[in-house]
Amino acid sequence: MKKALITGVTGQDGGYLAELLLGKGYEVHGVRRRSASFNTARISHLISNPRLKLHYGDLTDSTNLTRLIAEIKPDEIYNLGAQSHVAVSFEEPEYTADCDGLGTMRLLEAVRLLGLTNKTRIYQASTSELYGKVREIPQSETTPFHPRSPYGAAKMYAYWITVNYRESYEMFACNGILFNHESPLRGEEFVTRKITRAMARILLGEQNCLYMGNMNSLRDWGHAKDYVRAMWLILQQPKPEDFVIATGKQYSVREFIELAARELGMTIAWSGKGVGETGCVKAVKPIAGLDVKVKKGDVIVRVDPKFYRPAEVETLLGNPAKARKVLGWKPEISFARLVAEMAASDLKLALSEHCLKKAGYGAVKNC
Amino acid sequence: MKKKKALITGYRGQDGAYLSRFLLGKGYEVYGADRAGDSGQWRLRELGIERKVKEIALDLLEPTNIIDALEKIKPDEIYNFAAQSFVLVSFSQPVLTAEVNAVGVARLLEALRKAAPKARFFQASTAELFGSTGSAQKNETTDFYPKSPYAVSKLYAHWLTVNYRQAQHMYACNGILFNHESPLRGEEFVTRKIAASAARISKGLQQKVAVGNLDALRDWGYAKEYVEGMWLMLQQPRPDDYILATGETHSVREWIEASFAAAGIKLEWKGKGLAEKGRDARTGKVRVEVSKDFYRPADVKELVGDAAKARKVLGWAPRTRFRDLPALMVQAELARLEGKKVNL
Repeated sequence: MKKALITGVTGQDGGYLAELLLGKGYEVHGVRRRSASFNTARISHLISNPRLKLHYGDLTDSTNLTRLIAEIKPDEIYNLGAQSHVAVSFEEPEYTADCDGLGTMRLLEAVRLLGLTNKTRIYQASTSELYGKVREIPQSETTPFHPRSPYGAAKMYAYWITVNYRESYEMFACNGILFNHESPLRGEEFVTRKITRAMARILLGEQNCLYMGNMNSLRDWGHAKDYVRAMWLILQQPKPEDFVIATGKQYSVREFIELAARELGMTIAWSGKGVGETGCVKAVKPIAGLDVKVKKGDVIVRVDPKFYRPAEVETLLGNPAKARKVLGWKPEISFARLVAEMAASDLKLALSEHCLKKAGYGAVKNC
Repeated sequence: MKKKKALITGYRGQDGAYLSRFLLGKGYEVYGADRAGDSGQWRLRELGIERKVKEIALDLLEPTNIIDALEKIKPDEIYNFAAQSFVLVSFSQPVLTAEVNAVGVARLLEALRKAAPKARFFQASTAELFGSTGSAQKNETTDFYPKSPYAVSKLYAHWLTVNYRQAQHMYACNGILFNHESPLRGEEFVTRKIAASAARISKGLQQKVAVGNLDALRDWGYAKEYVEGMWLMLQQPRPDDYILATGETHSVREWIEASFAAAGIKLEWKGKGLAEKGRDARTGKVRVEVSKDFYRPADVKELVGDAAKARKVLGWAPRTRFRDLPALMVQAELARLEGKKVNL
């Protein structure tokens, strides 16, 4: 039985990847950080599987990583653990560097020092944020990097140290340069999830307005479920290489909002420019069995400059030709289906929030 | 007029020492930070500036330390030379290298943003960022391809510096410095090791010297001139990144030949690869050997820079070139051996 170690197993990709690998018969070891809040919601449906084993660990703790790898001797390591939020990296640059940059090197060093270079294959979660202020469109494996945030710089450190360990020590270590990938499991602080969640809550009157940063940003959005399959494929090749994983199609943040709203029966009309831009409800379709609260004419999208990044990444568009050719990988879930799935999932969540509140939940918190 | 204040991290290293003297000469109040102890003090002594730099406690591993120092000094200019600067060591100490060279710069920039956002910041970037990007001359638009944990850590620092300039609007510059040598280079670096060995061998104080890859090609300039370029970068209307280089490339082998020639020894090469030896042509004695210990796990074959932008914008150009540099360093070593004053 193959053994895999996943850092960041409690995150979106970790959840999907653990599910994929368990389905393939792997013994899956997940590393999670100790936290005051429960953080295993995304893998709760897998926890009863005896082949899933969770360990406490942290990418900033070399001893811990070395001990885990020594005990498990994994065939594959997927390094998905990171401080993964770009905006937060401007506030916490040092921690971001320590976790995302040095954390990767600590893993590589542990594998090397334990003499597992011929056994253990390593996948590093690289990101389209490396391209930042893009040098060419679309971006491929040969496009030079220009990171635009402490997050991008830290991930670039991780990218190159992975390449360096591959070249210096002949390790099977690969970068998957993943463009944005979303799903209902995306964290609520990420823009796509923030949008679908807000649209659903606005529909039911749980929220009045969605506050946005730069809505002109263009992104290449895929579904995380498709992308974890690519991660696995990258480690099954005869030789280690880096791959861009993307859809090759691009939409603006504004288009994402429009589509998410439409999925929930709302049509948005835009007016104004820049910080003054607003999105107003042009029409609402009733949904059977739902108490829709939003009305025609309601302003449901506004801009709040606090969500602008200090240095913006305007456009990202990946060229997945190499992944298609070498890995035989292509995305199966379309953009429209992705948004529909996220909106439907968030509608369910908003509905349960709505029902709980109606039944008095939250009203008795002061007694 | 009020004296300008400069803060130099790693001020007892080669570049820090030269820059200290240069800035003192321009009337700056110079503050220096370095590791505890007195390593590198000899450089300040030889330059005649001992105790002229105000030493302060600042360690790139200690964020509170950095903020304290910045609030106390309120510097106009900061030059960040502090680093684990030896490429080969970075393969065996990658964590320390990254902690100091990469995260240290994050701590420094973040502290600056809070405590001295108007200060001008110089980051010592390096030609090692280019690694194996082929043989063409590198300029400010060439892609990077780092080939060691040292280079990867410096690449992080490079881009973080760019990011603080673009996102936080700070005056922050990278000087992408190609190899720059001098009699003040540390002895673990190949140029100084060879110069010192050639001098000692010529005096009968040493038998031979072991080196790594003889065919590595580098662009070598004179550190004393490079620190002037760094200072110029912080005197411009707008912050930007610049390459400092000579544009000439020579092999380690040529450096060895020139250094031994300057010490009065003509060398002859025999053998291949690890078995290659350099012998004194007159006596037949082996003076240079190749050792695996000095090979990097991933080597950088060739580095040569194009400093056209620095010439055009800063008016900077190197004056000392390869034909003079090894001899200048061997002369300094001979002077040291004879107890004479070193010409710096």
